[in-house]
Amino acid sequence: MQNTAYNVEYKPRTGSEAMCEALLDEGVEHLFGYPGGAIMPFYDALPDYPLKHILVRHEQAAAHAADGYARATGRVGVCVATSGPGATNLVTGLATAQMDSVPLVAVTGQVGRPAMGKDSFQETNVTGMTLPFTKHSFLVEDPDELYPTMRRAFEIARSGRPGPVLVDVPKDVQFAACEHNGYRRLREAPQPLEGPAFEAAATLLRKAKRPLILAGHGVTLSGAEMELRLLAERTGTPVVTTLLGISAFPEDHPLYIGWPGMHGAASVNRAIDRSDLLFAVGMRFDDRITGAVEKFAPNAKVVHIDVDPSELGKVVRPTVGIAADARGAIRGILAHLEEAEESDGCAEWRAEIVKSQEPEKRREADAKGEYGPIRIMAAIKAAAGEEVRLVTDVGQHQMWAAKFFEFTKKNSHITSGGLGTMGFALPAAMGVAFAYPDEPVWVVAGDGGIQMNLQELATIRDFGLNIKVAILNNGYLGMVRQWQQFFHNRRYSETPITGPDYEQFAASYGLAGRTINPGEDIEEAVGWAQEQEGCAILDFHIDPEANVYPMIPSGMSVHEMIEEDGA
Amino acid sequence: MAPRTAPASATLTPIEMRLGGGMLAINRLVMTFMNKRMPVASFTVGRDGWRTGALRATILLDCPEETARRYATLLGGLEDVEEIEVAEGTLEVALLDGGGDALRESAGAAGIKTHETEPGGAVVASGDPESMEGWLGSLEDGERDIIRLGPVVRPGDGG
Repeated sequence: MQNTAYNVEYKPRTGSEAMCEALLDEGVEHLFGYPGGAIMPFYDALPDYPLKHILVRHEQAAAHAADGYARATGRVGVCVATSGPGATNLVTGLATAQMDSVPLVAVTGQVGRPAMGKDSFQETNVTGMTLPFTKHSFLVEDPDELYPTMRRAFEIARSGRPGPVLVDVPKDVQFAACEHNGYRRLREAPQPLEGPAFEAAATLLRKAKRPLILAGHGVTLSGAEMELRLLAERTGTPVVTTLLGISAFPEDHPLYIGWPGMHGAASVNRAIDRSDLLFAVGMRFDDRITGAVEKFAPNAKVVHIDVDPSELGKVVRPTVGIAADARGAIRGILAHLEEAEESDGCAEWRAEIVKSQEPEKRREADAKGEYGPIRIMAAIKAAAGEEVRLVTDVGQHQMWAAKFFEFTKKNSHITSGGLGTMGFALPAAMGVAFAYPDEPVWVVAGDGGIQMNLQELATIRDFGLNIKVAILNNGYLGMVRQWQQFFHNRRYSETPITGPDYEQFAASYGLAGRTINPGEDIEEAVGWAQEQEGCAILDFHIDPEANVYPMIPSGMSVHEMIEEDGA
Repeated sequence: MAPRTAPASATLTPIEMRLGGGMLAINRLVMTFMNKRMPVASFTVGRDGWRTGALRATILLDCPEETARRYATLLGGLEDVEEIEVAEGTLEVALLDGGGDALRESAGAAGIKTHETEPGGAVVASGDPESMEGWLGSLEDGERDIIRLGPVVRPGDGG
């Protein structure tokens, strides 16, 4: 039998070699990991293969880095860890990927088969532990099953609704000889769909007076950005994105109006409230978007397109539900809109939205003239240029970045949306930087989250990654503090937080760093960071009690929205 | 054995599935029930015939059929689930010791079919779960041994 990738004769080889061959045959170039006892045979085989391993400083970072790589490239990210604590440290990263439908394959070592079930050193049931937040998991006990299982893991990870897959391999299986290379594709790729639902969706769009397109992460995952734009332009429909859908549609496009939900734009929330048609594609009506579901979009019919059929009707009952990949579905609908012109009233609808945006735009323009988060976002965009990819952590800064950094490049906004994982940004940015070493990558993080994976500065330094880091340092766990301010009578319980002097901390890793205090020149500092070779860290000290507006209290509706001017 | 309390809702929707993957598949299935807060009123699992390593599971969901269909779709997305369907109806089987005319008559009145292995011997009773629940509850016979085999959608091929 021939190895299709290397055209060499197959010989009896070890399980570890079969694992490496499967990775190569899947086109893997980078894997992020951390060795340990139970995965040593794999690491012993690894140097013989053209696979680039990135040694992180914590397994959680390996999972996030693989996640960032996958989000940026659309390919399957790979992380590797040993058994026991190595495997448990991956858990947060796997859950993060599962919530945001990111294709990952996690390879873990397991204690040898004779030692399993005996509470052996570094033994843990990682397949059981990760059941709730992996798309699938394998414990491979037959060496001959190793290669096909690895291949199948990739297929599962990227097919349909993507997600993480775990492959747990006992140490003796990695050592064992395995001869067979049987692998066959078990599931066919989905076929292009046709059906009355496409025409029905097109008809609804054509007839709607106040339509909105609500685009989510599924648009990016299926590469449907062009189709989405065509659909919006052909029908004159304003476009709203979810948090993870940001950068699926260019924000400088006149039809883009922002993103909705708990901290989304007030004008967008009101537009959804007034809309008579929500054309939702590749999104799942997360509770951060809907708030009180019974009051969400009360006047709207709903077209819901999602590759995962179980999402249809899960939260919002669709008028037309289409279980299909976003790109295929939009193409199918466009076929029924070839002669379409926008419906009567759509121009008035857009004018109404533009008018409702005016107060927000005035506030934003004013804020850009002052020292603070909004100006920092504008400065980064101006200095880094159109090609920049922005990776954010979780908290207030994430909302400011999502609202005020103008994303014009597709798939340039990377963040942990569903799980909201603090500590995500720095390691995820490593994955992005490995995927696109010649393109600018910026991290925006808070002073809480950045400290959760700060050890990865060593990895960044070792590989000379050109990642610029902006820390919005308010000395608090800012979003929690904001909630305490509004809903817990300003009892700032355990939210004030300290950290290192980031300038000195960066220097201790041999990296450039600067502290920027209120009143100092933001643009100059960002420009300085941009000029540094490799990683640079900017520690922006900002107003400790700056808030993110608007704010819809959890479980409430647009009618209970708290706005900056007290409305 | 005392009969269980009858489910509060009468909208039990049966879903039958064929699983590969052994114990891990069952584990993953139960975890999915929990994760998605599925209203599982009953869960029966057994081998899908002796010739295969697969399992056949039947669940009764206490929710409207449309919701049950969405859950079936979700479960159908699991890699271990080889076949799944929302079944038209379901059947519960119970074994009782000591038959007799009175038992047969009460079963017939409740819409339960019975079969005696020998006169006065063990009785195999089958019927829809709600009828079975009501019939077993009506027996008021604390002395009788009853073994409930759980709801199944179809007998299968010997499994």
